[in-house]
Amino acid sequence: MSDRARAARIIAKRQVFEALISPGLYIALVVGLFLGYFLVSGFSRAVDSSGFNPQLHPLYDLIARALEGAFGKTFVDSLFAEGPLPFAFAVSFLPAFLYIAVSSVFKFGLEKNAGAVELVAYGPADGTSYLIASYVKDLFLVLLAIIVIVAFMVAAAAFYNYVAGPELFLTALVAFFLSLALFAYGVLASMLTGNASSSLALFVGIIAFFLVVLFGSFAIVGEYVRNLSTVVASAVQWISPFFYGNLSLKANAAGDSLGFFGGLALLVVLSGVILAASHFIIRARGVRA
Amino acid sequence: MKRAAAVITFLLALLPVFGQAPVRTENLIYSVLAFNGRDYSPTFVRAASGTIYLIAGVDNFLTVRKTLVYFWPLTGEWKTDTDSLNVPFDGTLEVTGRRGTTVPVILSRYTYFNERGEYELNWKVARDAEADRVWAHWAQIMDAYQAAMKDYRERVAKQGAERSSLIARIQSLRNAGKDVTALVDRLSNMLELEAPQPPQDYVVPPAEIQQAFILNLPRGEYSLRLRNPDGSIMEGSEKTLAVHEKRRSRGIGFEVIPGDKWTRPVESSTPSAVLYVDGSSDLYLRPYFEDEYNDLFYAKTIRNDDRGNPNLMKWERIQQVPRAEIQLTGAGPGATLIREEPWFVEQGQGATLGYKIVPYDPQGAQKGKDPSLIAFRIPLGRGSPVVGLQALDSAGKPLSGSARQIRVLAPPPAEIVLPLLALVPLAAMVLVIVGRARRHRRS
Repeated sequence: MSDRARAARIIAKRQVFEALISPGLYIALVVGLFLGYFLVSGFSRAVDSSGFNPQLHPLYDLIARALEGAFGKTFVDSLFAEGPLPFAFAVSFLPAFLYIAVSSVFKFGLEKNAGAVELVAYGPADGTSYLIASYVKDLFLVLLAIIVIVAFMVAAAAFYNYVAGPELFLTALVAFFLSLALFAYGVLASMLTGNASSSLALFVGIIAFFLVVLFGSFAIVGEYVRNLSTVVASAVQWISPFFYGNLSLKANAAGDSLGFFGGLALLVVLSGVILAASHFIIRARGVRA
Repeated sequence: MKRAAAVITFLLALLPVFGQAPVRTENLIYSVLAFNGRDYSPTFVRAASGTIYLIAGVDNFLTVRKTLVYFWPLTGEWKTDTDSLNVPFDGTLEVTGRRGTTVPVILSRYTYFNERGEYELNWKVARDAEADRVWAHWAQIMDAYQAAMKDYRERVAKQGAERSSLIARIQSLRNAGKDVTALVDRLSNMLELEAPQPPQDYVVPPAEIQQAFILNLPRGEYSLRLRNPDGSIMEGSEKTLAVHEKRRSRGIGFEVIPGDKWTRPVESSTPSAVLYVDGSSDLYLRPYFEDEYNDLFYAKTIRNDDRGNPNLMKWERIQQVPRAEIQLTGAGPGATLIREEPWFVEQGQGATLGYKIVPYDPQGAQKGKDPSLIAFRIPLGRGSPVVGLQALDSAGKPLSGSARQIRVLAPPPAEIVLPLLALVPLAAMVLVIVGRARRHRRS
C-alpha cells in the first residue's frame, strides 16, 4: 500500500470515528426515518377496495397533486407502482445525505482555513490523501445510512404487508452511486474556495444548478421552455450526476440491465474525473487556505 | 327617473356574472384523425401549436382548414366552432424529412372501418375506388337491413291490429255469453315476431367517404407545409411532424373492477405493479394486451393540446386477451385456475342502497337480460394477505409480463413498533455518548 493510501486510510478512520461520536448523523437518520414512517403508514390509509387512491389521505393527496402537477400522472403511477417504499426511501435518505454532504464540505473548508490540512501535510500525508480520506469517510457514512434506512423499509414492508421489491433496492443502489459523484463535487467545491462558507455556497449552487437543469428537462412545461431546457441540458448534462442517475432509472424502467449498470458505471467515471480534478487543484494551489 | 337609471346600471353591472361566450378566434388548423394503436382519435392542431404527433407505420388522415377556435374552461380544452366557419383547403402537403427529401402528398378520398374478427383490432383503410366499393357494400347492407326493419315494423303493426281486433271480438262474444275458447287460443298462440339483427360485419362500420392527406410515415421528425394550387405556401401551415412508435408491445395489463365499485374500474398496467387493496371486496379482472408509448407523444396524438411527460413511457391498453385463463396462488391451497365468467349486478332491495354481484343465470333469475360484466373473479379476504396471479393464453402458456401480486393491507397489530424502530439511531447515539462519558470518567 502506498504512503498516500495508508495516510488516507488512517485519516478516514479518524474522521469516521469523529462523525460517529457526534450526534448529527443519528439525528439526521431519525428525522429521515420518521419522514419515511409517515409515508409508509399513510400509504396503508390511502388504499381502499380498488387500490391506491392518494385522495384518501391528506399527505398523499398533497404529494400526488404536487408531483402530478410537475411531472404528470404517469410519473406518480410509476413512482408508487411497487408501493410506497422506493419513494419513502428517497425521502428518508435526503436528511442523512444532506447532513453528510454539507458537514463534510463545511468541515473540509474549516480545517483548511484553520491550517489543519497544512499541518497534516507537513507530516507523512499530503493534500490529496486528506481529500481522499474525506471522500472515503463520506462514502462510509452514506453506506451506513443507506443500510439503516433499507433495513427500516424492509421492517416496514413486513409490518404493513408491502413488497420490499427490486425497485426499493435499485433506488438504494442509485442513491449510493449518485452520492459518489455528489460528494466528489463537494470535495471539488472545497478545493476551489478559500473558506468554509464559500465552499458550502459553491457546493449548494452546483447541486441546485444540476437540479434545475434536471427539473427543466423532466418537468411538464410548455413547448418553448422544454426546447430551451433540452438545449441547456444537452450542454451540461454530461457533468451532472442526476443525468446519469436518471439514465440508470430509465434503463431499469425499460428492463435494460446493461443500461442500468452502464449509468452507474458512468457515475463512477464522473466521480473519478472530479476527484482527479480536485487532486490537480490541490497540488497546484497547495493546502493553505 | 333617477331610480330607474340606478336599477338599469345595477343590472348592467350584473351582466358579467351571467354566462359569457368564450372568445372565438380565426385559426388555420390541421384537423387530424390519428390512429392511436387501438382506434382512430380525432384532434386538431391550432396555430399556436407547433407540432403534430402521429404513430409510425399506420395511415393517419390530415386536412388543413380555417375555422374558429376557443378555449373551453370547464374541461380545460381547446375546441373548434366549425358551424360558424369551416373552410377546407386544397393543395399539396409537403413532408420534408431530416435528410431534406420532400415527399408531396395530395388529397385522397378514403374511408376507414373495423371489421369483426377474433381480435378487436381489424382496422382497414380503403382509398379512392376501393373506398367507393366499400361504401357501396355498406350502403347495400344497410339498405337490406332497413328494408328488413320496414317489413318487420309492418308485420308488427299488422299483428298488433289483428290482436286488437281479436281482443275486441273476444270481449263482445264474452259479453254475449258465447264460447270464446277458440279465439283465446288463437290470441295466445300468436307468436312474437323476431326483429332482424343489425349488420354484424363491422365493429365500426365504414365512415362516410371524405378527403384528406393520408400520411403513413416511418419514425422520425419531419417538417410539414401546405402548397396552394397556385404554387404558393399557405401562411401558417408550417409545422413539425413528430412520428413516433411503441417501444415495447404485447405487455399484459389488467382492468380491475372492485366488487363494491363495479362502475369505477382501475387499471394495473405496469408489469412490476403491485395491487394493494383493503380486502373489503372481491376483485373482478379483465386482462388486456398493451403497448408502451412515450407519455407526451401518445397524449398529444390523441389530443394535441394535452399534457404529458416526454421523459416517461406509458403502457396503453390495446385490446382484450381472448380466451385467457388466470392462475391464482395464495388464495387457497395450491394454484387455482380460474376462467372468465359472466356476472350480474343485482340492486339492493328496499330502502338500503347498494348492490351485489351474483353469477349470471341466463335460464333462471336473469332470463332475457344481458350479463352486467364478464370477468375473472378473484376472491379476497384478510385470510389471504398475498395473492399471486398470472394470465395464461388459450393454449395454457403463461403470458409474459402478466404476473401480478395482490396484497391485502390490514392495520398492523401494534402500530407503535415502527416509530420505535425509527428511534433506534437515537438510542445508538445515547449509547455512544454514555459509553464515551464512562470511558472519560474511568480514564
